[in-house]
Amino acid sequence: MDVPPISPLIFYRDPKAALAFLERAFGFETRLLVDDGQGGVIHSESAFEGHVVMVSGPPSGKWASPLDLDGKRTGSVHVQVPAGLDALCGRARAAGARIEREPADQPYGDRVFTCLDPEGHSWSFGQTLQVMSADEMAKTTGRVIQEKL
Amino acid sequence: MPSFTPVVFYRDPMAALKWLERAFGFETSLLVTDDKGRVGHAEMSFGDGHIGVGEEWGAAELIGPAKMRSPASLDNVGTQFTRVALEDGIDQHCARAEAAGARITQRPADQFYGARVYRALDPEGHVWCFDQKISDLSLADMEKASGLTMKTSL
Repeated sequence: MDVPPISPLIFYRDPKAALAFLERAFGFETRLLVDDGQGGVIHSESAFEGHVVMVSGPPSGKWASPLDLDGKRTGSVHVQVPAGLDALCGRARAAGARIEREPADQPYGDRVFTCLDPEGHSWSFGQTLQVMSADEMAKTTGRVIQEKL
Repeated sequence: MPSFTPVVFYRDPMAALKWLERAFGFETSLLVTDDKGRVGHAEMSFGDGHIGVGEEWGAAELIGPAKMRSPASLDNVGTQFTRVALEDGIDQHCARAEAAGARITQRPADQFYGARVYRALDPEGHVWCFDQKISDLSLADMEKASGLTMKTSL
């Protein structure tokens, strides 16, 4: 299996339920599942067009689900899709995702929605409507935009 | 082209960008700041991969309000980590990271699944896991080496 250059590993109390949710809500496909034999998942890969998120749990030690942290989390995942953003949001909502921001056009040229999965991990989805230069983005957003540090 | 971008949150995202460039060789590709110089959003690239960097309280713009935290604000607890594939030079990469102040929690070592792996903590406690492929193994090979059962669907 080809491994993408950078991918997140996300912790869930119920990793198998999470994998099922990612399939139902976002159309990802579980392509690798390493069971711990006790209901937990040592390692797994949920794929979408060659990209993967890894899912593991239940967490121990210094790892936690947002469920353990009153919804707080130390990361999120952004997924850029080529088309069909609004339909994807509808599918996610029907599968039980909590939509935090409905699909809306952004001043930087993307249409974006954000949602929470059942354990409170945050996902954002974007579709490029218009490719903008840094100068154009600076104009439309009123921010300072740099392309290097 | 669809892509997955893990986003990580920091108390001091500007310091984090500088550190991630120095320690891991990531490159800042987009930096959005307001008129006070605060980071609204940033993106870094490394080879064909991307990460997002945000401020723990100020990340509302892209992601939504109030629940984003640096591990430094959660007693070093984390809800996700980032895995980065290296083409080669993993031992040198680890040495560079350590010289820049990364805490190496797992030294480079060969794993049963055909990769050499090291793990590092950045200054705010995010975990980074770097791996480099060392051999092509089938799932059957990995099962044999580990005693684990590996499935290719849910």
